[in-house]
Amino acid sequence: MHNAKCTCWNCPAIDLAGKVDFRACGQSGKQFDKTLDSTQETHIMAECKRRPELGLYDPMAITFQECPQWQETPYGYILKDMRVMILGIDGYLGWTLALWLGSLGCKVSGVDNYNRRNWVKERGAHTIVPISRMNQRLRAAKEILDIDIDFRQIDIYTQRERLKEFIDEVKPESIIHYAENPSPAFSMIDVEHAIEVQKNNVLGTLALLFTIRDTVPESALLKLGTMGEYGTPLTGRPLFEGIFPAEAILQWGGREWSLGGELTPRDPVSFYHVSKVQDTFNVYEACKYWWLRSFDIMQGVIFGVHTDQVAADPRLRTRLDIDEWFGTIINRFVAQAVIGIPLTLYGLGKQIRGFIALRDAMECMTRLICAPPEPGQYAVVNQISGIHSARQLAYTVAKIGREYFNLPVQIQRVENPRVEADEHPFEALYEKLPKRYGFKPKVTIDEEITRMFELFLTPEVKKRIEERKQVIMPKTWWSGVKKEVERLELLDLKGEIEEDERLRMFKVHR
Amino acid sequence: MSDCECLRFTDKNFNQEVLQSDLPVFVDFWGSWCPPCKTVEPIMDELAKHFDGKVKVGKLNVDQNPATRSLFNISGAPTFILFKDGQALERIVGARSKKQLVLFIEKTLESQQPE
Repeated sequence: MHNAKCTCWNCPAIDLAGKVDFRACGQSGKQFDKTLDSTQETHIMAECKRRPELGLYDPMAITFQECPQWQETPYGYILKDMRVMILGIDGYLGWTLALWLGSLGCKVSGVDNYNRRNWVKERGAHTIVPISRMNQRLRAAKEILDIDIDFRQIDIYTQRERLKEFIDEVKPESIIHYAENPSPAFSMIDVEHAIEVQKNNVLGTLALLFTIRDTVPESALLKLGTMGEYGTPLTGRPLFEGIFPAEAILQWGGREWSLGGELTPRDPVSFYHVSKVQDTFNVYEACKYWWLRSFDIMQGVIFGVHTDQVAADPRLRTRLDIDEWFGTIINRFVAQAVIGIPLTLYGLGKQIRGFIALRDAMECMTRLICAPPEPGQYAVVNQISGIHSARQLAYTVAKIGREYFNLPVQIQRVENPRVEADEHPFEALYEKLPKRYGFKPKVTIDEEITRMFELFLTPEVKKRIEERKQVIMPKTWWSGVKKEVERLELLDLKGEIEEDERLRMFKVHR
Repeated sequence: MSDCECLRFTDKNFNQEVLQSDLPVFVDFWGSWCPPCKTVEPIMDELAKHFDGKVKVGKLNVDQNPATRSLFNISGAPTFILFKDGQALERIVGARSKKQLVLFIEKTLESQQPE
């Protein structure tokens, strides 16, 4: 188990209040007059909120493996009945994770303000996989999976006091922060939308950090970032996992320095991405000032529809958007293939990104929940399971659509409404989740795409795609121009699919 | 996580393991809130192997062991101190690469050699 040797120092059930000098790094640190001798016990003693009978004890003395409160699961040791609060629980990821964690025995609570439903509705789009209202979802979770979810309708920015009261009541041991607008294109529509995204994301997160400080400072915060924060640097340097390793050296003027521990450069590519970068700095600072513990999860582009829990009943399905604002690329390609409109590549279609399937993202989150950071630790992981170009993905969808579903799939290039490099070097590192937290991807792209075709071809979903096909083609230009993108060319798939096969043979999985 | 190959020093064992050691001892004073310290973690393990039998290599968490932190006036992390015969020979503050730390240890020890 990857977290067997973690100790109470990592555990959110620890009570350090008043027992640690929280300004340790020499900053007005309390001076100890004591000299060292061999009989002296370690100074730092803690109490356990779950096991008060232990009294004061050395927090390094008990490992997760040894503690009866931590129980073995396929994803690592996890706290028995761990209290996990999901912010943005009504969303694509939030709902899926709620059911996933509930099935593992966690006590799940969550908040949502239904912004996602409202934003999608405002754009004239809808989720192509129909989802129930929250009260029906909660009833279905209980009825089908025997999961109780404690839900409150709260806006984490404007209703800070209500959120604080809820957190104080639940005392979550892990807080998953999905309550952000995830759309680059939405943030680029106009000034009102840019402000809406930045207000919701940046100020919501900032308010949350203060609330955690004041209520549950030992709780681990898992905040969803994005690989897009890094941009695609044309130097071709690797996209490290948020922080430079100590072996990264800066040479200048005949001298050299280790960059170890410094945040790596960010190069956001929309006002949404800027909001995520600002979040990164706010979370980083909060960890430093208040000893909060956080994982900043730089997630790649997500795709897919399946976990065992959401597939258990139509009322448990998670949403799936395909519109230009909220639809991610693979989900959109499959929807286009199903209703017979060409898959659209923006520009050359040679943009390269990291990707991860919905189910695998849920496993990664669980593994990280199982291994809370240490006090004050701001940790970053790149949460992807493979790297692909847009063109390569279009070929894969086209190939599966043609061969297995007998669909006449075409691919076309359109003008790129975004400001981004169509062609660029890309080397993302994603070693921590596999090496440190034991994650191995379980879902192949082909497998998930096939599953999506099967679901999208059901009459109800196909009809819902048809009903909103006008919101797929991009109209939001980063430049502010108001016009539809022009179709540039239909690609000849013969030979290209063979080339794709060849590329896939050599695809590098780190 | 405490899955390191280098030694773990505490207020309790510092006297015995470091100050009374027959071998020179290289100590990383670190904190869990300190990103540079976390990036040096794997390097400390490599140094432990590199100097096996010649220099003891270990870490001390400054928050869990405030007496030692105070005794050696640690006011920034990571602070690296090379000890020999109970004395702090030299210290540096801030992240370093493995090459830089190896050089620091070797040069400091060399400068202690008799002419």
